Amino acid sequence: MAITDEMILHATKELYSRALRKVPEDAKAALAQAMTTETDETARHTLELQLRSAELAEKKDRFVCSDSGVPVYFVKVGAGAELKCDFKTSIRAGYEELVDTIEPPMLKHVTNPLTLERSYHGKDMPIVSYDFESGIDYVEIICSPKALGSGRWAAMELFTFPSLEEIETYILDVAIKAGAQHCPPVVMGVGIGGTFDHCAGLAKKQTLRKIGTTNPDPALAAMEERLFRAVNALGFGPMGTGGDTTVLGVHVDYASGHGFTPVAVAFNCWINRRTSVKIWGDGRMEWGE
Amino acid sequence: MTLREHDLTLPLTEDAVRALNVGDIVYLTGEIFATAGMPTHDRLLGCLDGVEDLPFDLKGGALFHLGSLNEEGEDGALRIVYMNPTTSTRFNAHMPRLIPGLGLRATGGKGGLSAESAKAMAEAGCVYLAFLGGGAEIITAGIRRVTGIGWPEMISHYRIARIEVDRLGPLTVGIDAHGNSIYDRTTAAALDKRQAILEEMRKARGA
Repeated sequence: MAITDEMILHATKELYSRALRKVPEDAKAALAQAMTTETDETARHTLELQLRSAELAEKKDRFVCSDSGVPVYFVKVGAGAELKCDFKTSIRAGYEELVDTIEPPMLKHVTNPLTLERSYHGKDMPIVSYDFESGIDYVEIICSPKALGSGRWAAMELFTFPSLEEIETYILDVAIKAGAQHCPPVVMGVGIGGTFDHCAGLAKKQTLRKIGTTNPDPALAAMEERLFRAVNALGFGPMGTGGDTTVLGVHVDYASGHGFTPVAVAFNCWINRRTSVKIWGDGRMEWGE
Repeated sequence: MTLREHDLTLPLTEDAVRALNVGDIVYLTGEIFATAGMPTHDRLLGCLDGVEDLPFDLKGGALFHLGSLNEEGEDGALRIVYMNPTTSTRFNAHMPRLIPGLGLRATGGKGGLSAESAKAMAEAGCVYLAFLGGGAEIITAGIRRVTGIGWPEMISHYRIARIEVDRLGPLTVGIDAHGNSIYDRTTAAALDKRQAILEEMRKARGA
């Protein structure tokens, strides 16, 4: 009994399709919660529309947004998982099959950065990162299709032995620069430390953390709280028409590094596209979001 | 306080446009034009320079930054499967010239436009209407039928679709024809508050 190519292919297809149609429950709960605290009339109206949009797409089994983004997958392989599969080939095949069969069809957003030509296919697509984890006997795949609105405003800067004040000021300034271009209220993921590539990955992964979860590290939890208040105090509001709700959550992670310290910030728009599945060798698939 | 709502019929008159204020809610009935393409906006500028003819007369029209999956069926009938806004600020370089050049009464999408566009809109009598990003089903529900597709050789969301809509909305007036922009206002307010917010964070850190 092992995890097969067919299972990976099926998961790849299904995860993307589900991510386009269903706003995760924690995101919907956070929007509903924001409705109760938001003081701006237009902002409450927008939050209400967002919840209605999510409900309609789910009920009709249609896309929440026309920008289906580019395919992004995170694979975590458990040390105890029994494997009989070629991840790279199966994930690619799953994505190709999805593009050919998905209903309604997706628009062409995969762009060659050198020629700006667009199609469904291209170099390095889908974008997949792989990780290993001890003590688990399954493979977990997370899909987070990335569209222009929320993808465009991520940023990173490298500092030398920065103070917490320098780090937090930079994060606030990234939020000011993004304004409301990323379809707020958003989730803001922050990475601090490590190296250039590792830090970007930390920030990205934090955008996938469930809204409302508390950071187990008390120092980071306090930082998240400070940044959450600070960014919401900026007043951009839902879709940028003003209000108290610009972020639904600020999620921070860090890694040790040298004295050069990268700080990365990434966003997920209000629909928070993310789906996950855990796959076991006996054929079990546990779907999540 | 309740939001001011307007049920408007297209094409919009200058008076109807000038009567709108930022924050108002608008529903549109009549014919709109929709495209999400950067190359399309380049081509539209080309039309103003006489490089080629416009696919439609856009004078007095409403051209929105909306991406759609549009297709011509085997029976020749046009249809739109879904439609949703794209980021308008991508077209900041195009709009100050396209607004007066095409004679637009309304434009829109999501994320707003620059101060230079807002100025062009005030001079020409044009508004910016904000659509909900990620509102595909709400927006698509306002479509009655497709009456034309311009530049069909381009990929779906780059084409210009001419669409008859019935109470398309709700849309929020993001930039009115009096030079008021909700986007410039919120950005200026955020910059004004920056120092005070940083001070609050300093206190919260206990430093």
